[in-house]
Amino acid sequence: MSAGANLTTARVAAFGIVFAVVYAVAYFFAVEQNWALVTYHPQLVEFGFGVEKPREGPAMYWFGWLATAGIIAGIAGVLAALLPERATRFLRPALTWAVPLCAMLAFGWLLRAYFLR
Amino acid sequence: MFTVLLIVHGLLAVALLGAITHQAASVLWPVTRPAGSFTGRFRSVAAPGYANAIVLLYLATFTLGGIIYTEYRIFVRPLVEDLRAWSAFGAFELKEHFAAIGMGMLPAYWYLWRRPPDGRTRAVVTALLAFIVWWNFLSGHILNNIRGFGS
Repeated sequence: MSAGANLTTARVAAFGIVFAVVYAVAYFFAVEQNWALVTYHPQLVEFGFGVEKPREGPAMYWFGWLATAGIIAGIAGVLAALLPERATRFLRPALTWAVPLCAMLAFGWLLRAYFLR
Repeated sequence: MFTVLLIVHGLLAVALLGAITHQAASVLWPVTRPAGSFTGRFRSVAAPGYANAIVLLYLATFTLGGIIYTEYRIFVRPLVEDLRAWSAFGAFELKEHFAAIGMGMLPAYWYLWRRPPDGRTRAVVTALLAFIVWWNFLSGHILNNIRGFGS
């Protein structure tokens, strides 16, 4: 494999690992702290910027949590991909499953009351 | 309209479920000799060839699910709360979070299947995605059964 292809591979790997890790963490905190970038009002079929209170019918924050986590993880991933290869060597591929798994367990813990009633 | 989307969402989910189950089985329990049995043939698929399809199916299923979710929030969730079906309710709450976390894993998953296997990472990432897909499929199916088709 050429040096250029190696560099591209290393950058894609850095992006993938950092995106998976930061996305899981950012999504968890976006949900836990309600850092929704947008609020959707399904009854009105309207989006509002940031966290808004329900107007007519319920307010949905899930799309906002996805957007918040996606933007944060996207920026972190791109920055990681731009770093020199030696700076990203500490990124272990196992983080791509370990951190998301921890986030899933944390959600299970947060929502445990639904299964214990 | 939403009924059609729900059916398409379900069909895409079935395709995704089949593809990722094949891939996970082949990477977690690889066949060591020519497969003669049904389970052996199930595990002996060319797993790397599934990765692109799985990413596309996940994105399509996720997008359709996001559209249907608005209908769920208005018409189905209040009913589930009225029925006090808390386990099903909690399972669906987990579904939305698991689906989101799975989205975040897709770039790494795609990359891991583009290169030669390196340790157990690829197998574990695939297994975790398979778990998410199975959880989401079953919890969505249960919620759909509670609400009832066309009711």
